[in-house]
Amino acid sequence: VNARASAFAFALLAIGLTLAQDVFPARDWYHGWQYTTILAIAIGVMVVHALRSWRGKAGPNGKRVALALAGASVVAVAGLLSGLIGPDTVTVVGTPGTVTPVAELGAAAFFAPADPQTIPRGDATVTLRRRNAGPVEIGPRPVPVGLSVAFTQSRPAAYVVVRNDRGDRLTITQPNNPSFLSPVILFRQAQQIHDRTFPLDTFAVPAAQRVVRILYFAQDDLAAFRHDPAAPAPTGPGAILSATDDAGAQQGITMAQSGTEAAIGGLHVTVTLGSYPVLQVASAPAPYAVVAGLAIFLGALAWWLTGSRAVAPAAQSVPA
Amino acid sequence: VRFETEVRRVLRKSSVVAALVVGMLVSGCYSGGGPKHSVDGGGGPAMLTGAPAVSYTIPRVGGGSDSVAAHRGSIVVLNFWATWCPPCKEEMPALESLYRSERSRGLVVLGIDQGESSATAAKFATAHGVTFPILVDADQQYASSYVSIGLPTTVIVGRDGHVVRGIDGAQTLAQFKALVGPLLAAK
Repeated sequence: VNARASAFAFALLAIGLTLAQDVFPARDWYHGWQYTTILAIAIGVMVVHALRSWRGKAGPNGKRVALALAGASVVAVAGLLSGLIGPDTVTVVGTPGTVTPVAELGAAAFFAPADPQTIPRGDATVTLRRRNAGPVEIGPRPVPVGLSVAFTQSRPAAYVVVRNDRGDRLTITQPNNPSFLSPVILFRQAQQIHDRTFPLDTFAVPAAQRVVRILYFAQDDLAAFRHDPAAPAPTGPGAILSATDDAGAQQGITMAQSGTEAAIGGLHVTVTLGSYPVLQVASAPAPYAVVAGLAIFLGALAWWLTGSRAVAPAAQSVPA
Repeated sequence: VRFETEVRRVLRKSSVVAALVVGMLVSGCYSGGGPKHSVDGGGGPAMLTGAPAVSYTIPRVGGGSDSVAAHRGSIVVLNFWATWCPPCKEEMPALESLYRSERSRGLVVLGIDQGESSATAAKFATAHGVTFPILVDADQQYASSYVSIGLPTTVIVGRDGHVVRGIDGAQTLAQFKALVGPLLAAK
């Protein structure tokens, strides 16, 4: 009985660990030796006990128990293989309004256009398009796509508008980024300040020969930096802008509140801060194996339990 | 004897399970767990060949609005430019010549100013004798969507509304004609 209880405890553990890859995807732990070890031991225990049960050496209802453990083993093997040979998690950063191929999914990801209204709301979408399949809108909840799961993750973003002293708009470029002519800054770099890391990026204003570094601070960060208790509490994220000319000479530094124009280096810069999604693609257990394994496990359990109930009265009647 | 046989059987099974565990562990150590890698969009306008042409309706210098979609059925030359861009200025006369010589054959040329005010674009067009339609894309949507990696960028859209070519950098009149000539000739 103890061996059977242990085998079923391992079965439940293995099923839970495997399903975790679908529910909480993209964890490094799934590819680590600890995860592999636990599943491998669970499979070993289940296989040995299933064989003993099948041969009738591990108590009554042996075939039903063996079948249930076989189903759980199928699920566990799917989880183990996904962890062992599944591809690493891929983060796809797409410029708003562009289509980016995602080789891992055999699909193209369309990143919705963004404007000063969508960035603060953070509700821009990513749509996957595959051959011979309808478009699938991807959100924060993991969606199974083949042998992977896809989901979005919000990252800080800024929509930048720059004007000159006459009020004319000026072109923004991002010479260091693939999104060369986008006014949406996706903060592809980071700046370490003491023990914390803050999103950082750079854009250029060629017509004014200016390069502007933009450092993002969330509302909580700004509140933490507030030294004057009398100063008003921040009501949203902010950014530090520092401008240089083309030769690298400093042209000014200023704090910009989201949506408020800030003057720096002869420019009038309005940054609207918020978020924009990146697409994450993580390996997942083969869905058919998981569904089939779970069906066998639950079906055999049901068979076992209903069979036991049917047998119980007869067993009680024997002594009588 | 029976006890010994049973012990041997258990040991044999245990060694199989142990081998399985060790094998999986070794594989686990050498696979996965690597750094998460990132794919960044980009690649330039050349990668868009064959893709449906993206269209936004934006203001036109001189009044009204226009878009790529409004010219479906025609060969459309989109040229992304800005007034501060020296190669764009150098390319303008070739684009103007192309427009004048081929518009009677149904060629549409749309100059799309990136990220500047309408007044700035209008002043430039007048100063350089540009007569083809100039659209003002203050939000830089066209250049973003067509993955421009510099200015000027030229995108040629076929009659079926799909991208035929995306070209980074300034072109000469001869190069423009070599690109659109066969498309105009094909009905």
